[in-house]
Amino acid sequence: MPPEKSNPTVRDGDWPTPRVRWVLAGTFVALLALIFVSGAAATRTLREMHQEEENARLILADRGQQLTGLFVSVELYNQDIGRFVGYPGARPDPGIRQELEQAGAELLSQLNRYPAVRQPQEEDFLKHLDDLYRRHRELYQEALSGSLTRDLMADQVLGMRAQILDWSGELNTWNGRRLQQSDAALLAQFGNLQSTLTRSLAIALAAGLLLVAASMAYILRLERQTRNRYRELAESRHELERLSSRLVDAQEEERRAISRELHDEVGQSLGALLVDLGRLSSSLPADGAEIRERLQHMKALTERTVGTVRDIALLLRPSMLDDLGLVAALEWQGREVSRRSEMEVAVESANVSDDLPDDYKICVYRLVQEALNNAVRHARARNARVRVAGAASGIEIEVSDDGQGFDPRRTRGLGILGMEERVKRLGGSLAVTSAPGQGTRVKAELPLPVAAGTPA
Amino acid sequence: MNQIRVLLADDHTLIRAGLRLVVDRESEFTVVGEASDGRQAVALAESLKPDIVVMDIGMPGLNGIEACRQIREKMPDTQVVMLSMHSDEGYVLRALKAGARAYLLKDSAEADLGRAIRAASDGKSFFSPAVGKVLLEDYMRTLQRTGAEDSYELLSPREREILQLVAEGKSSKEIAGLLNLSVHTVETHRARVMQKLNLRGIPELTLYAVRKGIIS
Repeated sequence: MPPEKSNPTVRDGDWPTPRVRWVLAGTFVALLALIFVSGAAATRTLREMHQEEENARLILADRGQQLTGLFVSVELYNQDIGRFVGYPGARPDPGIRQELEQAGAELLSQLNRYPAVRQPQEEDFLKHLDDLYRRHRELYQEALSGSLTRDLMADQVLGMRAQILDWSGELNTWNGRRLQQSDAALLAQFGNLQSTLTRSLAIALAAGLLLVAASMAYILRLERQTRNRYRELAESRHELERLSSRLVDAQEEERRAISRELHDEVGQSLGALLVDLGRLSSSLPADGAEIRERLQHMKALTERTVGTVRDIALLLRPSMLDDLGLVAALEWQGREVSRRSEMEVAVESANVSDDLPDDYKICVYRLVQEALNNAVRHARARNARVRVAGAASGIEIEVSDDGQGFDPRRTRGLGILGMEERVKRLGGSLAVTSAPGQGTRVKAELPLPVAAGTPA
Repeated sequence: MNQIRVLLADDHTLIRAGLRLVVDRESEFTVVGEASDGRQAVALAESLKPDIVVMDIGMPGLNGIEACRQIREKMPDTQVVMLSMHSDEGYVLRALKAGARAYLLKDSAEADLGRAIRAASDGKSFFSPAVGKVLLEDYMRTLQRTGAEDSYELLSPREREILQLVAEGKSSKEIAGLLNLSVHTVETHRARVMQKLNLRGIPELTLYAVRKGIIS
């Protein structure tokens, strides 16, 4: 079977490209940046608004102060004018004149000190004030020169005074409105800020939701792919197990066939040959000594060949399993190994049913065969012990030797793999414990199918 | 002279032909039938009532051991000579437990078959010399490994005598007659032999005797 056919659903395209990852990460960073930037902008705007409000208040307060100063100067000036006008003598007292002129100078300086940046109303007001003051100055000069009586001047001045009070009232109202206006502007700005913030927040929220959705989709896809991979892996492992199980079956079947062939064909012919040779030599005339010797030689050769063929056939298919049952076959094997090698094998068994399914008998037999073979060939053991114990639930097999041992983590020969394969195939487990110089113990547990569970 | 009627059972026609030649060579034997598997052997034994069945141990369907057991159960007068490729005690003991009188290796069948048939028809045991050799070797090795004493040394001369006669297939009554003892005494000796050697039943006792070379 070609390897790519065993796993047809796996394609490289299924796996998500790293680009998706980068896009998700980029979106996430952008989202964070958006939140940060809009937050910073909002903070800055708030600070600016605060500053502006402060400035507006300062300016208004300054104006108010200036205006108050102006009014005070106007009032003082008016008082002085009143005293100047109402003075009883023909010529006013020089002290009064001096005070009036001082108050006038003060008023003028107040007018000049008023902030240069002015609203049209202020401008008008100041201009009127300035005009009034100039008129006063003219009237005053006329009054001093005597071309104007003080009574007449008083009439004019008092009218003007009412006018000033009027204007100042207007200005006050207007100033109050200014304050309100600046508050309204601030409020509008605040509203702007709020809507900007709301908008950024909405965008951030939408982007966040989008990001979450994309991430979820990505994760779900990964999950699905992982699940698919896992299923494919499990399937292919299962397939592999089935395949190797079939291999074991096929191997066993092949061995059985070859063994039968050897036994039936070769063994039979050799046996017949032996009988014929025996008959031939016994029916030979007494003087045929040389021929008799040749016949004897042929017989010996044939006997050796029979032995060899028998051994090979037995190795391939242990017919004692069929003839004697599992326990006797294991004991036979133990004795056989003891006879042929330097290792003594002791076989113990308890509660082993003779009605085990063939699969199980073969499995146990081959397991013990392999373990003993390893003990002789690789571990050079002197003694080995085989223990087979049956129970209702299954069979326990243990083969231990006193050989040189090995490190099972490093060495894992085909022999052990083969044993594992056979045991796993029947749903059992195999454990090999060994360490250099510590001997080896192979332990297997085979669960029995329910029907064959009861020992005979 | 009474003819010994022989039934041959082997799944291989060539082997059967060879065996038939060997048996026919002796004038006192007559081959009365041939069977090619265990089931047929049992059926033919029942219908032909031979004195001896020469039976291959490994046959398809019903193997030789099972066929032997069934024949011995149904016809206690028919003796079975077992033919096998194996000299292992697992096989020998199974064959003996199934009621076989003689156990022959196929390699030596040609030379020993006549003697084996004759011994079996007299109710005696017979084993191929190679079987006794292998069994003895295994036994000695087991003794060495376990460090056990050779229990044969524990037997008295009388007990050894009785062991041999029992292993040869003699009944207690026959032994009593031969040794001029009461049947009860023979039974007591026999029980003590079994106990000393830690044996269960005549087949194990026979196997032991073969192993020790007491009988062949």
